[in-house]
Amino acid sequence: MFFHYVDLSWRSLKRTPMVSLLMVIAIAVGIGITMTSLSVYHMMSADPIPSKSTQLHHVQLQTMDDGRDWWSDDNMPYQVTYPDAINLLNADLPYRRTAMIAAGFAVHVDDSDMKPFLERARVANADLFSMFNLEFIYGSAWTRNDEDSQASVVVISQSLNDTLFQGENSVGKTINLDGMTVRIVGVIKDWPTYVKYYDLNNGAFRDPEHIFLPFSLIAPNEIITWGNSNGWKAENVRGFQDKLKSEQFWVQFWVDLPTDEDELAYGQFLMSYMAEQQKLGRFARKELDFALRDVKQMMVYREVVNEDNKILVMLSFMFLAVCLANILGLLLAKFLRRAPEVGVRRALGASKTQVFIQHLVEVGLLGVIGGILGIFIAQAGLWGMRKSNDAYTVIADMDLTMLLSAPAIAVSVCILAGLYPAWLVCRTTPATYLKSQ
Amino acid sequence: MFEFRPIINALLRAKSGAILLLMQIAITTAIVSNAAFIINDRIAYLEQETGLPEQDLFQFNMMIFGKNIDLAKQIEVDESLLRSIPGVIDAVYINAVPLSGGGSGGSYNLLPSNEKSPSINASYFRADSHVLNTLGVELVAGRDLNESDVMVTSDVSELPKVALVTQAMHDEMFPQGSGLGKTIYRRDNAIKIVGIIKLLKGPWLQDERRDRSLIFPQVRPSSFQKFLIRTEPNERAAVMRRIEDVLLAEYPDRVIDVIKGLDQLKAEYVAEDTLMVRMLMVLITVLVLITALGIFGLTLFNINKRLKQIGTRRALGARKSAIIRYFLVENTLICSVGVVLGSAGALWMGAKLMALFSLPSLSVSYVIVTGAFVILMSLFAVIGPAKRAADISPSIATRSI
Amino acid sequence: MLNMNGISKVYQTEMVQTHALRDFDLQVNEGEFIAVTGPSGSGKTTFLNIAGVLEPFTQGQYLLDGVDIGKLNDNQRADIRNQKIGYIFQGFNLIPDLNLYENVEVPLRYRGIKAAERKRRIESSLEQVGLASRAKHLPQQLSGGQQQRVAIARALAGKPRFLLADEPTGNLDSLMARQVMELLEQINRDGATIVMVTHDPELARRAPRNIQVVDGQIADFSLYQGNPAAVVGA
Repeated sequence: MFFHYVDLSWRSLKRTPMVSLLMVIAIAVGIGITMTSLSVYHMMSADPIPSKSTQLHHVQLQTMDDGRDWWSDDNMPYQVTYPDAINLLNADLPYRRTAMIAAGFAVHVDDSDMKPFLERARVANADLFSMFNLEFIYGSAWTRNDEDSQASVVVISQSLNDTLFQGENSVGKTINLDGMTVRIVGVIKDWPTYVKYYDLNNGAFRDPEHIFLPFSLIAPNEIITWGNSNGWKAENVRGFQDKLKSEQFWVQFWVDLPTDEDELAYGQFLMSYMAEQQKLGRFARKELDFALRDVKQMMVYREVVNEDNKILVMLSFMFLAVCLANILGLLLAKFLRRAPEVGVRRALGASKTQVFIQHLVEVGLLGVIGGILGIFIAQAGLWGMRKSNDAYTVIADMDLTMLLSAPAIAVSVCILAGLYPAWLVCRTTPATYLKSQ
Repeated sequence: MFEFRPIINALLRAKSGAILLLMQIAITTAIVSNAAFIINDRIAYLEQETGLPEQDLFQFNMMIFGKNIDLAKQIEVDESLLRSIPGVIDAVYINAVPLSGGGSGGSYNLLPSNEKSPSINASYFRADSHVLNTLGVELVAGRDLNESDVMVTSDVSELPKVALVTQAMHDEMFPQGSGLGKTIYRRDNAIKIVGIIKLLKGPWLQDERRDRSLIFPQVRPSSFQKFLIRTEPNERAAVMRRIEDVLLAEYPDRVIDVIKGLDQLKAEYVAEDTLMVRMLMVLITVLVLITALGIFGLTLFNINKRLKQIGTRRALGARKSAIIRYFLVENTLICSVGVVLGSAGALWMGAKLMALFSLPSLSVSYVIVTGAFVILMSLFAVIGPAKRAADISPSIATRSI
Repeated sequence: MLNMNGISKVYQTEMVQTHALRDFDLQVNEGEFIAVTGPSGSGKTTFLNIAGVLEPFTQGQYLLDGVDIGKLNDNQRADIRNQKIGYIFQGFNLIPDLNLYENVEVPLRYRGIKAAERKRRIESSLEQVGLASRAKHLPQQLSGGQQQRVAIARALAGKPRFLLADEPTGNLDSLMARQVMELLEQINRDGATIVMVTHDPELARRAPRNIQVVDGQIADFSLYQGNPAAVVGA
């Protein structure tokens, strides 16, 4: 019976080609526009590391004196100070953790005719690789020993390894970063994320780094941050060593807390740490405060999905509502005109349900056609977005969920629009239209 | 004349169709007026005056990795080298580039830090006395920086004694009277204002500090450097192509990167907003089209439904113009109600958007213009089908369908 | 076969109450062929709609083939229409999108008959009305008489025990009308009970039994020959 209904629907659509076309266009365009903005929203807000997103936590400490203002929503500095980062690293706790900063170097290899080039780097701790599920192709992470001895070691990504060493196992070879010579201990697959969720301070959609250096190299090599440094206190920062001791915020800190108990325990640890620091004259404030946010909370907090995208999604859904009203009006007109035929069918023994379903199948068919066309329109829209903005090269795309959602939303919208007309038409009293035809 | 009463009666009888059309018009009006407002707001932002000849300016980053080099001396060598390239008007080593999204800022007071005085946030640039000429901005009062002002130091806490400020910065610090020659403070460093710049947008166009900047005559050598260069009109592309080779020939152990025009930097900085404008434009265009098509389709249907009635009217002596008028009036009635509802909806939506997002409040003029436009558009959509209705033969009345 | 006791039907609009049928009694036996006549507005069509289970009634009892129609819900009524009743309308009421074959198929589909059986029945009933060769044609390609024969084929395909015809020849010329009438007589001889509403006395006279509806009630039946014992009059 279902296929019979599909067959009838198809004929019905063909009988009023103009109106069918109008309806299909309305749905296709509505779905196209909605899916364009929704796809971007979906990609932006997607969990970048589903297996770990609830357990990786970003640490923020309220180190400012009472009365000092910060521009974040909760008045909490986005980053931590270098001394705090070092103290948190040194705490004797069973959790994997890493401090990190963004940096950048002129990369050059001895005895190579390749021109030196600038490359961004992430300076972090060895736990970074296991915490953020980074996979090694060659070698492994450096050790805590390497960190303690300030060994000049480096981990590079597969693409950098391809550029520098044509993809061969480069473990043990050295490269020069500015004036510093470092030995490669591992090569990882490129960090598989398009949202730079681990450091949202300088744009959420920049490429992950390809060079990873031990955090302990910052002090001896005076590695300057390529990220933000913010200060609130009048301090005499004359040189790099002053900066290391200063109250400036320029380090991010992440800790891996597998369970809620761990999160609670770590929170308690942070409170006791700050209380201890208070005795040393820091944290001149009445109430100590910290923030532990997991990956998803961090993405909301730092507004990875920006306002414009939210406005667009909102407007697109309103647009879809207009399309729905549009289709509803046309369906109403179309179905009511068909009342005489429905009268005949009712007289010949069709039940209300059968008539109702027949009409819903028809609007469903409209939805399927419109939804599929809508995918093409959305693809065109996303293509336009990619062309318009480099940052959207990866984000402006439809994954399988979105591809399947398009016809699903289209069919739902159509059925929603078709319910009332179909209900009206199935209520046709069989006798009414028989005589006057 | 306009047969309002029969039309209204007919509408009331065919409620659902009219209500749907009305809703569609209302939502369309609400969306279009808000979107048009956002578009206009963004376009004003995108096209704002920067005070800079963006087409003639470009920047590059440089990382010196060579060891045992006197950075201060190398910077001077590089600057004179750059300034001697044919087509270059001027060039400076600078800490931050306007419109690029990356820079430095600080807070400034009228009094030293031990006395209370309002504090003003501003972005700052550090460069030598060629900076004003390189930027190509206009000085409205005071003097340019000269070589004796310039302080070369790597001590971060030391500040020069003089500075240029932008007019916006000046007005913020000295709401009454002139601040030229007066002293402001960065913590306890006294800085004398020697010149006022008419307009110079800072590194962050989106920030409240966008118009408030200071320029310090200071060179702080560092291995990571930024240079800003102004060329003769139409010479920029040629200079940009040569720049890397010229500098590497002078000293090889360095990397030149991000050679970009200021217009390009600005385009990258505002890319999100450009995209938003485009998206919204597509959205409202298509929305208006869809609504017009909806009106068109519904009118066609209504005419088909009333074929016999129209025929009868024609048979009873109605002129074609009367039939057309009937549909136009009917449509205008529905649309006007829709537009009125939609305008209320638009204002409500504007208020909601403003509460949820950092948008300015919707101005009523947008709603009025959109409403008028929507009614006009609906008239266009209805005129075709109405003409078709008028062409219905009176004889249809006598035929049974 | 059909038993109506004290049926009345009131149409209620905002202003007026119209009594389309008042205390209407009628009994039709298996195998009868009845012609119902009456002036327009007399309640003929209302009677037919109620008899055909197309419309509910306000009061009274209606037994069709032993089933108490008044007690059925909408779905059961649809089933009764589908399985027991065949309709022939003045306006033919073929579905314009469907070809002849598919038009005849409509009630069979609602009855859930398997495709092979449907095919057999459709072909045989189209054969019966002499239109088997035009099965793929659309209704608008046929003349009025042919369309009405398709409508009859559609009514026959379901093998109804009870056939209702509303002015079956109203839109046809006399030659076609006679053909259709002969077809109906043939169907009646094959065992179906037929109730036919008409305003054509010529046609009515050909039916073995005549009743006349006036003002929503059965009026003077003795005007025409018939079996008075079988009629329960007013």
